[in-house]
Amino acid sequence: MTDLYIPATSDTPEINFKFSRNTLSMSGEAYPENGVEFFRPILRQLQSHLKSLSGDTIEFNFQLTYFNSVSTKIFYSMFELLNEYAKNHPNSVLLNWHHDEEDDMILDFGLDIQEDFTWIDFNAITLASA
Amino acid sequence: MLIDLFTVFREEADANGIVFYYSGILSQNVITTMSESLKQKLQIQDEKGARSRKVFSTFIEMVQNAMHYSPSMHESIDTKEGSIIVSKKEDKYFLICANFIQKQHENRIRDKIEPILKMSIEEIKQAYRAQLKNDQHSDDTISKGAGLGFLTLARDSIEPIEYAFRDVIGYENELSCFYLKATI
Repeated sequence: MTDLYIPATSDTPEINFKFSRNTLSMSGEAYPENGVEFFRPILRQLQSHLKSLSGDTIEFNFQLTYFNSVSTKIFYSMFELLNEYAKNHPNSVLLNWHHDEEDDMILDFGLDIQEDFTWIDFNAITLASA
Repeated sequence: MLIDLFTVFREEADANGIVFYYSGILSQNVITTMSESLKQKLQIQDEKGARSRKVFSTFIEMVQNAMHYSPSMHESIDTKEGSIIVSKKEDKYFLICANFIQKQHENRIRDKIEPILKMSIEEIKQAYRAQLKNDQHSDDTISKGAGLGFLTLARDSIEPIEYAFRDVIGYENELSCFYLKATI
């Protein structure tokens, strides 16, 4: 599958899914007018990529600084997909969860992800506040 | 408007701790531009990042909610309108959003908010998590969100959220003005 790159805008994150290297990164802010419309094609590509793999290790870098409630729900589904993959191929998904040390909202969501999706190796990375 | 009157308006706003006020068209472009402005104001005012983030998040949830659910105010063009105020008093931020809604949606909104008002903060967090996991399509076909909007507001508000409906003069049978308040 060809790599997917979508540059950031003021209300959508940078998507840098290097499927060829199984390094998937997202950074920036996410509060588009229609979150489902923006993220659905991205999740579809991720889903079909995961189907094509057979145990390759995946590194996911989550570096968002703000996301609204609709995006939160979509990200939850996205990590559900990765968890399913990791369930079939143990120790295959590493999630690097970047969050500002002041940001308990993003940390709390990360802890929910960690608790609910136990097949994903969760690695919290705390960034010092700017 | 007289310059004197506008001066009073501005001075009263400053004296009452108004950090940000907007009333007018709500489009995604307007929202992203307001967000930049609010973010800069908060950075200047607030030494702690955590609270600024909650104010910002509450602001976005409120204005996007208003944009999604307010009826178009003109027949020819799809314009949504709303008002939002962010004020700071005695170390608390208050956010109030107002937008018109179709009168027939009053009960639907009330049914969503009332149960949240009865919850403790722990119950709000539990309900939030349950809704996050809920991948069933809601029976509520009008909802465009994830069903997490009001719960997100309630979770981050340090006092219970408040809401009200008021008649819209001249449109008493068709429209209501919906107010939503959070405290950070």
